[in-house]
Amino acid sequence: MLIKIDGKTYKGHPGETLMEVARRNGINIPSLCYKKGFEGLGRCRLCLVEVSEGKRSKIVSACVYPIKEGIEVTTITDEIIKMRKDIILLLLLRAPDNEYIQQLVKEYEVKAPERYIQNDNDDCILCGLCVKACEKLGTKAISLVNRGITKKVSTPYDDPSKDCIGCGACAETCPTNAIKLEESNGIRTIWNRDFDLVKCSICGKYYTTLDALKFIEDKLASNEEHICDTCKKKSTASKFKESFQHIY
Amino acid sequence: MNLELIHKYPREKRFTLSILQDIQREYNYIPREYMEYIAEYLNQPLSDVYSIATFYKALSLKPKGKYTIKVCNGTACHIRGSESIREELLKVLNLEPGETTEDGLFSVEVVNCIGACALAPVILINDKYYGGMTKEKVKDLINSYREVAINA
Repeated sequence: MLIKIDGKTYKGHPGETLMEVARRNGINIPSLCYKKGFEGLGRCRLCLVEVSEGKRSKIVSACVYPIKEGIEVTTITDEIIKMRKDIILLLLLRAPDNEYIQQLVKEYEVKAPERYIQNDNDDCILCGLCVKACEKLGTKAISLVNRGITKKVSTPYDDPSKDCIGCGACAETCPTNAIKLEESNGIRTIWNRDFDLVKCSICGKYYTTLDALKFIEDKLASNEEHICDTCKKKSTASKFKESFQHIY
Repeated sequence: MNLELIHKYPREKRFTLSILQDIQREYNYIPREYMEYIAEYLNQPLSDVYSIATFYKALSLKPKGKYTIKVCNGTACHIRGSESIREELLKVLNLEPGETTEDGLFSVEVVNCIGACALAPVILINDKYYGGMTKEKVKDLINSYREVAINA
């Protein structure tokens, strides 16, 4: 399937979204709530692009738009910039001090009119990426609760969640770094609950929680060695090196 | 717990809202143990059930009074002075909108139209409409409900 993005032709597969094709080919479409590997959420709306099909054109969210044969995409037009500016303005009013939002504000030269400025300050932009991450990688311990102006991400009843394993996938994916994850003395605190951390058996650094490790072991039905990502990569690489060193 | 309410539904995700509605009807709110049981029964994460229960205004997580008083603040009622009726009602019951009296009898909600504009200003107590309300009528009406509740 061939599509055109900003005048160049790219190959895509049926069922892929525009965002996937663009990211694979190194085309920059701004986004906050898109994460590679998850299906698009279409919440932050920063990834607006213009799609032309024959004589008709429309503005769509790239992260949830499945590609079609022969479409022509423009990732930046005056109209799109204007729309993105409006979206960034709203994000700025919600999270005025957030550094990630500030970066966008600088890039798009957005300024909040004096009369809109309010004292509310929240880093969370309610994109729901953490909820998605918890569903895919964790235990679905958090969700979007309430509605309207009281909407937020939380555990049921705001209590320390029984389901949470403290894996930190939510904090890891958060585009605005809004989720509090604290670590000290071998204890990780997240969503009002404390978790015991586990040390890597090679480098001795804390790298995950006991509950998260147990969750993964149950899923894989095996007892893996307690090794952190960095050490795992190193050991795989050295094994690779060993087996190939006599070939050349 | 009255599990009959839940067990009459098949164990499928799509019945979550129906079950929550039935429980709301029975108890005037969703008790926590029911919420947890529904999640277990339907094999859903508790966070999902909680998300649904907090989304709909028709579902409440706090106990509601025996009588839910809805004060209409739609256009017609607003013009005919619903504001003063609301103030009087909240003063008589010593409440804020959304709260319940300590004796568990009355909760007050302000709503945006109950489709009885000809009766404006109107209040709704459970399923009964009281049209043409005045400040003076409020106290008598509350007292009559209180008496019924005490004698019952």
